[in-house]
Amino acid sequence: MPWVSVIVLVPLVGALLLLAVPPGRVVAARILAVVAALGTLVLTCILVGLFDRGASGLQYVDHQGWATSVGLTWDVGVDGISIWLLVLTAGLFFLAIGAACFRLPERPRGFLAALLLAETGLLGLFAAGDLVLFYVFWEAMLVPFYFLIGMWGGARRRVATLKFVIYTMVGSLIMLVAVLATAFIAQDHTGQFTFNIQALHGVPFTGTQSTLLFLGFALAFAIKLPLWPFHAWLPDAYTAAPILVTGLLAAVMSKAGAYGLLRIGLPLFPDGADNLAVPLGVLAVIGIVYGSLIAWRAPTMRLVIAYSSLAHLGFIVLGIVALDPYGAQGAVLQMVNHGVVVAAAFAIVGIITRGSGVEEVEGVGGLAEGAPRMAGVFLLVTMAILSVPGSNSFAGEFFILTGIFRQQLWLAVLACIGVVYAAVYALRLYQTTMNGPPRGDGRRVELRAVDSLYLLPLLGVMLVLALWPGGLVGATRASVDRAIAPAQVAAGRPASQISASIAANPPAEDLPLPGGAGSGP
Amino acid sequence: MNVGASTPLLIVAGTAVVVLMIGLVPDRRLAGRLPTLLAAAGVLATLIVIGVMWGDRQLSYAGDLYADRFAFLVDAVVLVATLCTLGLSWREPAGVDRRGEYAGLLLLSATGMMLVAGAGDLVVIFLGIELLSVSLYVLCAIEAWRERSLESGLKYLIVGAVGSSILLYGLAFLYGGTGSTRLSAIGQTLGTASFTQEPLITAAMALIVVGLGFKASAVPFHMWTPDVYEGAPTPITAFMATATKAAAFAAFLRLLAGAMPDLNSDWRVAVSAVAVATILVGNIAALQQRNMKRLLAYSGIAQAGYLLIAVAPGSVLGAEAVLYYLFAYLAMTIAAFAVVVIREREVEGGDRIDALAGYGRRRPVLGAVMTLSMLSLAGFPPLAGFVGKFLLFGAAVQDDLTWLAVIGAVGSMISLAYYLRVVGVVWLGEPEPGREGKRLPVPGALGVVALGSAAAIIGLALAASPLLDACRGAAQALLAP
Repeated sequence: MPWVSVIVLVPLVGALLLLAVPPGRVVAARILAVVAALGTLVLTCILVGLFDRGASGLQYVDHQGWATSVGLTWDVGVDGISIWLLVLTAGLFFLAIGAACFRLPERPRGFLAALLLAETGLLGLFAAGDLVLFYVFWEAMLVPFYFLIGMWGGARRRVATLKFVIYTMVGSLIMLVAVLATAFIAQDHTGQFTFNIQALHGVPFTGTQSTLLFLGFALAFAIKLPLWPFHAWLPDAYTAAPILVTGLLAAVMSKAGAYGLLRIGLPLFPDGADNLAVPLGVLAVIGIVYGSLIAWRAPTMRLVIAYSSLAHLGFIVLGIVALDPYGAQGAVLQMVNHGVVVAAAFAIVGIITRGSGVEEVEGVGGLAEGAPRMAGVFLLVTMAILSVPGSNSFAGEFFILTGIFRQQLWLAVLACIGVVYAAVYALRLYQTTMNGPPRGDGRRVELRAVDSLYLLPLLGVMLVLALWPGGLVGATRASVDRAIAPAQVAAGRPASQISASIAANPPAEDLPLPGGAGSGP
Repeated sequence: MNVGASTPLLIVAGTAVVVLMIGLVPDRRLAGRLPTLLAAAGVLATLIVIGVMWGDRQLSYAGDLYADRFAFLVDAVVLVATLCTLGLSWREPAGVDRRGEYAGLLLLSATGMMLVAGAGDLVVIFLGIELLSVSLYVLCAIEAWRERSLESGLKYLIVGAVGSSILLYGLAFLYGGTGSTRLSAIGQTLGTASFTQEPLITAAMALIVVGLGFKASAVPFHMWTPDVYEGAPTPITAFMATATKAAAFAAFLRLLAGAMPDLNSDWRVAVSAVAVATILVGNIAALQQRNMKRLLAYSGIAQAGYLLIAVAPGSVLGAEAVLYYLFAYLAMTIAAFAVVVIREREVEGGDRIDALAGYGRRRPVLGAVMTLSMLSLAGFPPLAGFVGKFLLFGAAVQDDLTWLAVIGAVGSMISLAYYLRVVGVVWLGEPEPGREGKRLPVPGALGVVALGSAAAIIGLALAASPLLDACRGAAQALLAP
């Protein structure tokens, strides 16, 4: 059974079936959406069980022709990194769709269908084994998010959607040219015309080519993350979107950029990654400090979480560009951690806003008295945001800082400032809203049974990850080592740190005979 | 002679004459639906004949006319566009009142385009261009009771005549420089001797690019496009946007890539320069438009620029990309115009963008058709426009014109602003009170065209292989000596 293809396509089929449901049948639409999301999650979990955690390469590869004469193929598979992002996506979308079904907005069919389409886009992106397919999903996922923000968003949603799409497209159209250039330049080096990411590993690009191509991809990734200073779309989009969608943007979509760096940037263009590692690291550190400072003074609860997310993503990028096994390992761990934590944080903000009708941090206070359960959950999430030892984020952040300490001490020192500030903004948010002089009725924001249904699973995952990060680390190590090995070699890291071998491309036995032409486009 | 090889052309031309004659019959029952149906039947028959004849190159009229895969594929674009235009005009005033003339002229114009596509001789190219243009002058002005329509026809006549004469000048220079009007002979002459930097040939090339630039509405020869598109009856605008563009690019490929491949390093400069100007001006001007037809006119200019990107390398991949994109562009443009035609029937000033405000919520299917068209024009995957742009940019990158592909990407970024504005208006806009218009049932033919073109936008992308194979064959036929 082509597991990965089925997982990617189940939400798409669900979305198309939803559009066939007659407009009045809201119950049927709910059931269909939940079944599609649950089916995806179950299939993903089965795949996790089948998956060989020790192996480093792509598994369960499904390869189908699309327009093979011009190099377009359907090529999906999972490795140790992408499988966990698939689980994250499927899990969070299931919870989101479940939560949405309790409080459906106007035009519910369209809303649920757009959520399912976005899920397909993200699943496909994380599973893509081909540059063009990666680009296709990268772009295609914009459309459902555009409609989710534009049709169901709040004030200023038109501006927000336009900014969001134009920013993202600016990066991705350059990426399209970079995709094409990669394939054609690689053809000059290897004689083989392909967009397959595996087949492009180890192509001996010259230093300039590698740097320019890496830059073409990195720009798109930096905008999607977003990395400072490409974040101008973020406050608008996160504020205008329905909070459910904001949660998904921050929890899942932001991982696309970091994943791109690990999957495409570092393995394919090691020299470019080495040249640009420090500049990217500097941007990441600025993002950490900047995000933390703004989060500290942000007026609304949503923006506090949004900017804290900017800071956390800075940490993830820092871990990747450290070109160190610990750093990259921590980045992957933190991608999952941050996804879960930020989803829970936005869920809590959503509940508080719904109950009190207030968006501003200063607008509510002393809610803990009336809502003890809420306060307890919120405290746990706050601790995870500021990475207190013992929380799930701690292990990830610790790994990242270890990695960067080993390679770029000064960046690590600067990044630690961000750790301090995280305590400031996270505690401010918690203290102002939950403790302090009472403003607003705490009983109205208390967790209901329904809310617990989607918050408790998130807390459960956080607990598992906090107690046993080694489980995730062990299952991803082989793939992470393999992803960063080429860049480590390019950066001249000592051999003791490099634990994966890198393949020569083209493999010696496959070298084209003199005069024999490769398969051209 | 080999008249048989020109069967498609003869069928279309013959149908045009018959349809014109029927239009003269005073009996309204006979002159009612019959001309349109007959014209559609003729076009369908021609498409079938093309499918049967698809194969290696044949020469007819001693080499004046090629019947090769390239000609057939461009014919197919033109004929499908004609068919869609007939569908769009099903209930249009001009189409109803002057049915014979309308359908007849449309077919004559298509005949001219097919002549261009199959031309093996400079004179035939010019003949085809004149035939298609003269028919279109009349069609633009056919709603003679509207001043705008008359203005449109007159403008097109004047500018079109200038363009034609410049092209003729260029063709004459080419004849003067090489001593032949046969494309094959010209190709051989230019291939044997060194004609690089030969002033006469350089001038001929420049004049040809300018002359065809007028027809393809490339910058700086695009001034007529928005006015003519806005004033002409909307189905005719759709026809001009799709079929005329196909014919102009067929001429570009035949004359430049087909007949002067050895001078590529010379003409690629001119084509690249025009492409850059066209992409930038078309996209930037489109940002300001409030009228859907004008917006599509400027977007069409920008799309012509993308097409020129792949003309510049003069390679097989480039020609393949152009041909595929002509099909994709046909589907997306017809889909957009179909919605405009439907909206124009419902409300006064239905061609303004504002008239579409909130339309998606009231008529979700038509809103989806418009959305698909706009997203595809903007190059969103996995739609036909994306595969097309992928090929166009790929052709440029393959031939070391990466900078041109980057310009194309920049143009696409600018284009997002106006394509997404339309999508935003359709789904998120609020109609002005009292301007929602009536909700009329969509005539069957119009609905078929709208849904069919929307399906093609998706289908051409997901099942691209057969069409791409055909385009590859056509591109090889074009570049074969």
